Amino acid sequence: MRHNGAALTLTLDGEKVAFTRGETLYEVAERHGRDIPTLCYDPRLEPFGGCRLCVVELEGARNPVASCTMQADPGMVVRTRTASIEVQRRILMEMVASENRDADVDPMHGYASQEMAELLDRYDARTGRFAGATSGTSRPDDDNPFIKRDYENCISCYRCVRVCAEQEGDYAISVMNRGFHTQITTEFGGHLKDSACTFCGQCIQTCPTGALGDLKALANRDVPGETETTRTVCPYCGVGCSVDVMTRGEKIVGVLPAMDGPANEGALCVKGQFAFDFVHHPDRLATPFVRDDETGELRPASWDEALDFAADKLRKVVRDHGRRAVYGIASGRAPHEAAYMMQRFIRAGLGTNHIDNCSRA
Amino acid sequence: MPNPTDEALIARWKDEPAPLLPLLHAFHARDGYLSEPALRSVSKGLRIPLADLFGTVTFYHHFSREEGGAERPRVCNGPVCSMRGSDVLIASLRAAGHDPHAMPCPGRCDQPVPVIHGRTVLTGKTAGSLVTGPSPLPAPAPAGVEECVFAGIRDPGRAALAGYRAQGGYEALTGAVTGRTPDGVIGIVDRSGLAGRGGACFPTGRKWRAVAEADGTPRTIVCNADEGEPGCFKDRLLMDHDPHALIEGMAIAAYATGAERGFIYLRYEYPETLDILEGAIAEAAAAGLVGDGILGSGFSFDLMVRRGAGAYICGEETSLLNSLEGKHPFPRNRPPFPVTHGYENLPTVVNNVETLVSVPPILVHGAEWYRDLGLGDHAGTKVISLSGDVAQPGNYEVPIGLPLMELLNGWAGGAPPGRSFQAVTMAGLSGGFLAGTDLDVTLDEPSIRSKGSFLGAGGIMVFDDSRDMIRVTRESMEFFAEESCGKCFPCRIGCQRLVERLEGSGPRTVEAWVDEVSDLNDVMKKTSACGLGQAAPLLTESLIRYFPDRIRAHVGAPPGPAVSARPRKG
Repeated sequence: MRHNGAALTLTLDGEKVAFTRGETLYEVAERHGRDIPTLCYDPRLEPFGGCRLCVVELEGARNPVASCTMQADPGMVVRTRTASIEVQRRILMEMVASENRDADVDPMHGYASQEMAELLDRYDARTGRFAGATSGTSRPDDDNPFIKRDYENCISCYRCVRVCAEQEGDYAISVMNRGFHTQITTEFGGHLKDSACTFCGQCIQTCPTGALGDLKALANRDVPGETETTRTVCPYCGVGCSVDVMTRGEKIVGVLPAMDGPANEGALCVKGQFAFDFVHHPDRLATPFVRDDETGELRPASWDEALDFAADKLRKVVRDHGRRAVYGIASGRAPHEAAYMMQRFIRAGLGTNHIDNCSRA
Repeated sequence: MPNPTDEALIARWKDEPAPLLPLLHAFHARDGYLSEPALRSVSKGLRIPLADLFGTVTFYHHFSREEGGAERPRVCNGPVCSMRGSDVLIASLRAAGHDPHAMPCPGRCDQPVPVIHGRTVLTGKTAGSLVTGPSPLPAPAPAGVEECVFAGIRDPGRAALAGYRAQGGYEALTGAVTGRTPDGVIGIVDRSGLAGRGGACFPTGRKWRAVAEADGTPRTIVCNADEGEPGCFKDRLLMDHDPHALIEGMAIAAYATGAERGFIYLRYEYPETLDILEGAIAEAAAAGLVGDGILGSGFSFDLMVRRGAGAYICGEETSLLNSLEGKHPFPRNRPPFPVTHGYENLPTVVNNVETLVSVPPILVHGAEWYRDLGLGDHAGTKVISLSGDVAQPGNYEVPIGLPLMELLNGWAGGAPPGRSFQAVTMAGLSGGFLAGTDLDVTLDEPSIRSKGSFLGAGGIMVFDDSRDMIRVTRESMEFFAEESCGKCFPCRIGCQRLVERLEGSGPRTVEAWVDEVSDLNDVMKKTSACGLGQAAPLLTESLIRYFPDRIRAHVGAPPGPAVSARPRKG
């Protein structure tokens, strides 16, 4: 972008770089491959400035500044990785490690669950210094089937609270108390199922420590084999959220939201996130069934037989009761094209305008 | 009269500016606590998500969520009161059938030990000897010393409008509104050298000009009367005995910057002050000195008081603004600053009480007069709240640049009999300690900053040679740990770790102890998001600097080489 006819530039680690008005120092630095460490940052959320790992030196500033919240200004001179800054980051990581019960958690906890452990390794911060009280009270009493609330591994970055408010608009959780006693809570400290929570699971997927965990995926943590992920589209509704389905062998073991999914940008709902276990359920139908005219019992049938059977019955209804006796409801799980075909089938094929979509209900 | 219904309370407040705190106080007063149904009503009435509201309520010390909680006596256990027997008083109240609990410093260090009971503050040493009373007036200034904000305060009628006017009160406002341009007023304040007396020392004239020139209306004047720094009790004195000076200062600030509304954000711990301010605002409004068309001009300014609920961080201006707006009181990221993005993201002046009270005399006597009150090159005066082990604790308005020892010995009567000064705090607790030859400073920022500390809001607590400096440091650090808001990592974790190391846990060798504490000090000073986390480590830093022998004894190691803070290797 041009400003007064000239490109906006600043000096990043000695190199003159261009930026766009409104960009933060963190965004400029990342664009130039700096890999600045963060724990409270999620690109989908408003910058928060809590973890302070992203501090950089800014000439003229008394102290290092948080690059995630500082907007770039023309002429700034910024250093992202001086010896002194790296020392501060290492001490901060040693401090973070000291407040948690576990530094390492199973990756099945969620999308971002390894962020803290990876930074501890990068900064060689597993020194055991600053040992003392741990923070956070876990909630094993919250018996919901989806979200593990293991706050003894919480580092109070509040990404869960912010994603719930800023992305999902649910405001189901918040921060209670102050200082070392802060605790993620629902209203009155109750269970998620009694709160405004919709169990979308976004809090789990942004948690950088595994304090929040995906209970559906964790139930499969002992399934043997390497985890493979396959990019696909959630089958539940017509929105078309991208997901990365995790499998081990032939078994689906969990679902990760695709942060780069064009329709959802990392968001999912309770069904897309958690309701995948029907796939391997023993009661799941594997062939069509038709009801035997004589016995009244359902029996397995081929697709051709089942479709012919349904077509015959539809024709019989129209013949016996008239075309207005038929009412079609398209599935909300179907995409636009299928919904269009459905209304053509009902209107043009059967000659009635009794057509609706279940999403309208 | 029957208690008002939820609906009536909500209807009273929901269309007022900054309604959350007064509405919560109304429920708190009606029910004696904030019940679940009350919070559900507030959430619905003000359209605040319930989880958010719950979290915000738990942030404050003084909103009780247990039945009867509002009436439980709260006893100060701050650094001075803890030396003066808070524990004894708590035990005595318990024996008398009360259910007291400890609270951080409520700004009565000149009258230890204070107890808040409902809307009354009492002071004394035992349950049977508690008394109420007005804020003590300052001792007369030494001969030849001219004051600014204390010049008229000892006059018995000063707190009432008639008495204030009899001493020339509101002449500055009248003169400004009828005879000066807003820019002219800012020019005088600018030339006077007046700088933020809450401790940040930002030039007041520059702040006002930035607001006057900022885009966006309405503009707002916020008086920061959340005097939460332990050891500071000057703003209470000013508001209790000279409330009209504050109102006049705010009205002048509003005229100068084009602001239409103002808030005094008053700390919870000053209930009597709340009544005094609301009475004075009503008097001023009736006399046409605030409200619509002030003094018959086209200038209008609405002034309201909002009572805090107990949270030290709300004295940080951006936390204060979030608190006023009913948000979780975490500090905001800066820039942008309140001068452009303040209350409701609009241009806002946030000034301390003392700063605003200084303005009327500056307008009356002129910029040069104020400038010349300071010694040497220093402009103006500063109120120092002096407490602890000194013969005459209290508030003193000193010329900036006065030697500290002259204040301690010449003005305040020296150390208690048979004792000598061991250490003093600066900026309440935020400046850490000065001790030894560093007590030789003068009371101005350049001098004190050269010793690694700062003058700040002007609270000085004195510790004589009988005091255990490890204990003093630990209790002081417990305050910061208790008050850390929890937003940024270095402060939230660092304060806790420093407390633990002062309690006796942590490394068992002096070298490792000092290594860890120095690293915590350094990272907190450099990377904390606001002044709380940047200042708290000055306590431990100065402890290491002045009292290495005490640290050796504390850590339990045999005497070794000199203890000194050292930078971390690699």
